[in-house]
Amino acid sequence: MLFQNKSPIALYSWFSTVFLLGSMGMFLFVFVYQSIPGLAHSKLSFITGDVWYYRSELFGAGAMILGTLLVAWVGLLIAVPIGIGAAIFTSEILPAKLRILVKITIELLAGIPSVIYGLLGVLFLRNWVYKLLTPFDPLSGDTVLTAGLLLGIMILPTIMTMADDALRNVPAAQRLAARGLGLNRAETICLIVLPQARAGIMAAILLAFGRAVGETIAVFLVIGRQDNRWPESLFSLRPLFEAGQTMTSKLGGSEVNIAYGDTLHWGAMMSLGLVLLIIVGLVTHLSARLIKCGAVHA
Amino acid sequence: MRNIMNILFTSFTAFAALVGCGVFIAIFTVIFYRGLPAISFEFLTDQIRVAGASGGIIYNLIGTLILLVSALLVSAPLAIGIALMQTVFLNNGALKKRLELLLYILNGVPSILFGIFGFIVFVKYLGLGKSWLTGGFLLGMMILPTVTIALIERIRSIPKKYLEAATGLGLRKSQIIFSVILPQSMSGLTTGSLLGLARAAGETAPIMYTATIFAGATIPTGIKESPVLALPYHIFVLAQDAFAPAAIQNLWGAALVLILLVFMLSIFVLPLRLKIHEEAHHA
Amino acid sequence: MPDLNTCMTPILQTHQLSVAAGERQILRDINLCIPTKQLTAIIGPSGAGKSTLIKCFNRLVEYVPSIRVNGDVLFHGQSIYKPSVNADQLREKIGIIFQQPVVFPKSILQNVIFGVSRLGHIPKKQWHEVAEQALTDAALWTEVKDRLHEPALCLSVGQQQRLCIARTLAQCPEVILLDEPTSALDPKSTEAIEHAIENLKGRKTIILITHNLGQARRLADWVACISTRHGVGELVECDLCEALLTKPKSAEVIEFIKSRRREEQISPMMAS
Repeated sequence: MLFQNKSPIALYSWFSTVFLLGSMGMFLFVFVYQSIPGLAHSKLSFITGDVWYYRSELFGAGAMILGTLLVAWVGLLIAVPIGIGAAIFTSEILPAKLRILVKITIELLAGIPSVIYGLLGVLFLRNWVYKLLTPFDPLSGDTVLTAGLLLGIMILPTIMTMADDALRNVPAAQRLAARGLGLNRAETICLIVLPQARAGIMAAILLAFGRAVGETIAVFLVIGRQDNRWPESLFSLRPLFEAGQTMTSKLGGSEVNIAYGDTLHWGAMMSLGLVLLIIVGLVTHLSARLIKCGAVHA
Repeated sequence: MRNIMNILFTSFTAFAALVGCGVFIAIFTVIFYRGLPAISFEFLTDQIRVAGASGGIIYNLIGTLILLVSALLVSAPLAIGIALMQTVFLNNGALKKRLELLLYILNGVPSILFGIFGFIVFVKYLGLGKSWLTGGFLLGMMILPTVTIALIERIRSIPKKYLEAATGLGLRKSQIIFSVILPQSMSGLTTGSLLGLARAAGETAPIMYTATIFAGATIPTGIKESPVLALPYHIFVLAQDAFAPAAIQNLWGAALVLILLVFMLSIFVLPLRLKIHEEAHHA
Repeated sequence: MPDLNTCMTPILQTHQLSVAAGERQILRDINLCIPTKQLTAIIGPSGAGKSTLIKCFNRLVEYVPSIRVNGDVLFHGQSIYKPSVNADQLREKIGIIFQQPVVFPKSILQNVIFGVSRLGHIPKKQWHEVAEQALTDAALWTEVKDRLHEPALCLSVGQQQRLCIARTLAQCPEVILLDEPTSALDPKSTEAIEHAIENLKGRKTIILITHNLGQARRLADWVACISTRHGVGELVECDLCEALLTKPKSAEVIEFIKSRRREEQISPMMAS
């Protein structure tokens, strides 16, 4: 089967695909190989430990993982309601011509580079958050909350476009039947359309989560980059109002240059990368599965 | 009661859409308003002086251009090969799903990890130091999924009758590819490439350890130890350290130029891409 | 064309109803009377605009892109296009069954009472009763009474269509619009549905689009024919069933009856 087609173009296709697979394989290999020293040293405390101090060879990434999750969580909190709401509006309520206009606007929003978001965060959002948090006596406007807010705007287009897709995949006949029974538009959307678009919308949220976890530049600029901010209780909001650190902001910082050369330190840094890869791989896989499920039902 | 819920619901969704569009308009307006004063002929053609406080961004533009062209030269050919594999050569449904999944996974990999990978393999292990070629390669691999998937969608939307007619005439697969599939899907390659490049133009993380420096580079003359300047990295550095008002002014100018570059790359293809996307999903 | 006197209180009327979608004119100057609690069959060649016409009665036509409706439709003598009219409330009273059954991905019982449970006119404890009555009227009760909580998508196409009828009946509409309800079904399901429709005659006003003249003859009191003249659908004739089918007056109807007779003779099964 595989070598039936010996034409040059077939061979070229094979070469390209193998190149892709090889590159991805090597990518994974490099990260795994280089993290071994770090993981061997810290073992489980890499994830659970909350102190990261490379000078004492302590590599607990717990605070960073928490930071990543907090930032993503705040981002989703903003982007999910607005994104799904906007998607409902464009796909169910807006007439066709305006729909294209809104879609283009949102796609352009998606195209704004993260460094620009970072710039706006530094020059504007930082000050606004600082003023907002004055009752909490903040040190500066560089907080986990700031990063989360910025991220929320950045992942909004992802959720919106994918949710819009999911809604449009629900057959029109379903809406007509519901309207024919006398249900109004909100009821039709909430009771018939949204439940049937559930898989696609969850896929959208997952993918947006993946993006939020992986975003470096914007988060780097506004999160304050302070290690080891572990809250007294996991339920307190305190970490949101203070500076923090995510896995990506650590990897985007100067410690990368310091770490190189020292197998242990570098191993720990690469382990951060490995954790990111695993999260993103899982999330993408799950998301793709959900989209297929949704498509099958439609 | 039901009426009230209906009205509330519609209002909420309208508000959400307004927020989405409003944010975009606000961002663009701010950058435009603050950046426009900085833009002048000198700004676009002069080089950086005084760490960005004066002078222009010509070498940043050139550097970004070099990176984009190399990214295109890396991703487009590979995209064609992979897209053909997915649509023409691969017959096993499960394998096709896996290939597409791999593309989506690659698309989701954080860009900083591309940078670190490039740092380890190209800068250190291969001893190239910071090089424009590394940057171009990494960016190309990063946008490969975008280009490939756009091409795949376009190939899938070619009306079956053309393919059936060609097969009926007795053409071999490779002949069909060159006579029907490739010509008809070129628009997909173009839109995918432009969208990919729009993304690559704004990326900082893949290039900051591997290809770019803040100042001092002009036009690279070789491959080893040949970094370039780049617009996004320029903005990134200044966003952290600039305090002089003149530098801030130029910072806005650079941001405006970057955003205009990204928009110019995407504005023409977006309506077309939205159409292809719709066709592929709702055919 | 029956005038208002012979109509015996028309529940629905159209006045110079014209419908266009984008550039294309679909219907022109339709003046039709639908008598109360009788079955009016609408026949005519494909594409003449019959579906569009009945969708005007419950304003479902508004969801066709670029649609423009001129003229008026009166329900109980009141225009349904007045701004004060709530289209959703109108559709509670004028139900519709489509050609392809559209069941919701829920259980059979949930499907039947779907409208009822949201509209709030009937208290919850009566829902099961209402469902049973509706399913009985739709000739489906005996087949599903033991599996009301199974997914509706497990039913056969014919059963799904009857489920749709039950769902509409549960809301006690005054008028029921049926758009070729049996054209996608096997003969046995067709028979069951015709039986159900017959049982509804005299209790509800029914407007039935059908391609099958036999079906029209079996069920209809009145027949209206919509045919294309100069590329636009017009009402060419409307009369009592017997009169129109045995002694048609207009050329289009004669032609249509001839062609349908041919098809139904060749394959009475397919013509269903």
